[in-house]
Amino acid sequence: MIDVGFALTDHDERPVDLSSYAGKWLLVFFGFTHCRMVCPRNLAKLSSVLEKLSAIANGIVPLYITVDPERDTPERMKDWLLDHYPRFTGLTGDRTSIDAARSQFRVFAERRASGDEAGGYDVPHSALTYLIGPDGEYRTHFNESVSDDEIAARIAGLMRPETSDAEH
Amino acid sequence: MITEIADRSATASKPQGIPAGLDDVQAGHLRRIIDLSELLPEDWSGMMGRSTLQEDFDALRFQLAYMSYALALCHVHRLPAAPVVFRKPFERLIGKMLSQDVWTYWHYVSTGNGPMNRALGELPAKWNPVEVDNIMYSAYIQSMALLYHYLFDDPKFAQEGGLSFKLQPLFWGNGGQTFPYDEKSLTQHIYWNMVEKGYLGVACEPNCVFQICNQPAIFGFRLHDFLYGGTMAEEVTEGYRRAWADFGILDAAGHYNIVVQEQEHVLLQRPPAPWADFWLGALMHMWDPEGVKAAYPGQMAHWAQKGPNETLWIPPSIRPEGMGPETSNALDFGWAAVCASEVGDQETLDKLLAYADGFLTPTWNDGAFYYRRRDGWLNDSGQLHAMDPHTGNALLAYARLNVPDGLRQLYAQPLDAARFDDPALVDMTDGLDVRVAYYDRDRSILNVVIRPGRADRNDAELTVSNVWGRGAWRLFVDGDHVATGDQTDVTITRGAVSARRSENGLVLRLPIAAEVAIRLECAA
Repeated sequence: MIDVGFALTDHDERPVDLSSYAGKWLLVFFGFTHCRMVCPRNLAKLSSVLEKLSAIANGIVPLYITVDPERDTPERMKDWLLDHYPRFTGLTGDRTSIDAARSQFRVFAERRASGDEAGGYDVPHSALTYLIGPDGEYRTHFNESVSDDEIAARIAGLMRPETSDAEH
Repeated sequence: MITEIADRSATASKPQGIPAGLDDVQAGHLRRIIDLSELLPEDWSGMMGRSTLQEDFDALRFQLAYMSYALALCHVHRLPAAPVVFRKPFERLIGKMLSQDVWTYWHYVSTGNGPMNRALGELPAKWNPVEVDNIMYSAYIQSMALLYHYLFDDPKFAQEGGLSFKLQPLFWGNGGQTFPYDEKSLTQHIYWNMVEKGYLGVACEPNCVFQICNQPAIFGFRLHDFLYGGTMAEEVTEGYRRAWADFGILDAAGHYNIVVQEQEHVLLQRPPAPWADFWLGALMHMWDPEGVKAAYPGQMAHWAQKGPNETLWIPPSIRPEGMGPETSNALDFGWAAVCASEVGDQETLDKLLAYADGFLTPTWNDGAFYYRRRDGWLNDSGQLHAMDPHTGNALLAYARLNVPDGLRQLYAQPLDAARFDDPALVDMTDGLDVRVAYYDRDRSILNVVIRPGRADRNDAELTVSNVWGRGAWRLFVDGDHVATGDQTDVTITRGAVSARRSENGLVLRLPIAAEVAIRLECAA
């Protein structure tokens, strides 16, 4: 159902695609840095998950893919993430590339005018977190209601057998 | 061994809270559904309205789906210890749902370019009926398959290709097209479509997201959660509330909004309709009972009209001339009855059914009861006259076979998996009419009441599962102690009743000239 793929630019302005992270687990969340509720809540929770996973988290690359490329430049994403959620690497790109990534992950996002300022807008979006295996295949996803403890436990459970296999 | 069983015959009357069983009319509705399920493949006798090319609200898919839901509600709430009555008919209805007669309408509906989806232009015609949009079909076959698995512990439709949509037109030669799914892959497919739409819902016709048609998918998600774990239904309903907050689930007057145009992201302004209020209310009650119960009284007060002799009827939604073929139906009426049954408004339900019996088309046919089709919207007094096959075969049956909060209960709590270990009727002579069938687990008693129905009046055979290995038992027929057994076999039989052990359970053969009450008392 999820055919993972993207070709984007990371917040250090390097071009990246799935192969850039070969052999690593990916924890992927879509959002936008002007998001006031959903992203802060979820990125904080996922940061907590990574804390709980402790050393296991070393094998995970947390990615935050924007749904608002017009405002989320690499520089903007880097500054914002380093300030608030430093474990995450931001990915952005042009509109076509972002829409393609959204489509691959089947993410909903829709630009809506916001009354707060002239020309302002929000981008309501899905709040799913995806776990991608080191082979680049979708493993599972977590919806917003799943607690940090449960996400951590499930990730650890999914990573353990594959890590063990790799060690033998 | 037999002395281990206390004599409970004197106190074996039905305790409070046990399944109600069926009265004559309910049994007649059930027989009608079973009869329709037994029609030969692609024989839709008695199910066809005036042709609307399977795109209208009385299409075959709706009849098949709501007959299957009615079977489920009747089994769970009224005859829980009689899976034999329901399992094969349910399976046959799913088989009919897979018929190309039922879903190939999608080939031309998928092209869009109508009043509600002209913004998309003319789209390529699709054969695959579940790939994109068409939730008005996909969610029904999904939920039916999962419901069958859930009720009967049979993963038949979970097998790879278990739900395959096959198209083999004669002039395509030997090939044709097959779109293979199963209950899990189809659920995942619908779920991700829902996620991509921000949980607003999957469209029916292209660009048209109807609230109503996404409810069966939510039911399916819940059943999937019960069967396979997960919280899909919770996630989707939470997202659904947020997404519809942009438009309102209800309008300012307390009627349900009906349809959103996806691309324009606008609510289509159209007058409220009784079918919309009651259809959505009946289904959404499963996951938002408070909201539905709050809206329902005002909706019913708005729509219900007084009929003769203290009856009630619902004015039909008559489409403007030129919008679709000329037709007529009683769907507004039928859905009002279903919704009244679900929210537990017995007084209104009784008055609606009294109108149906007094002024519509009640029909008995060899023990089967339904309302036969009648065309023409209104009678000379300006009251409802029409009857369509969906209302006559499925909706009024659903209303009568349901219990208050019936669908809500199915959705709210998983059924106890231990029910599959309780004694139950798993086989019987064709045509028997089962009126009571429940296992009283507290007292370890199976109670069954049967009538000859269409069966041979001299002889009936019943198989009861889960009798062996649970200790001694005694069998009573009409209060007479007729057989005794232990945990491995029958030890004593008396009178005209024979009992034997078989591979599937305890097989009873008995004469049934009239109604017979069977009580199997197991070791407590």
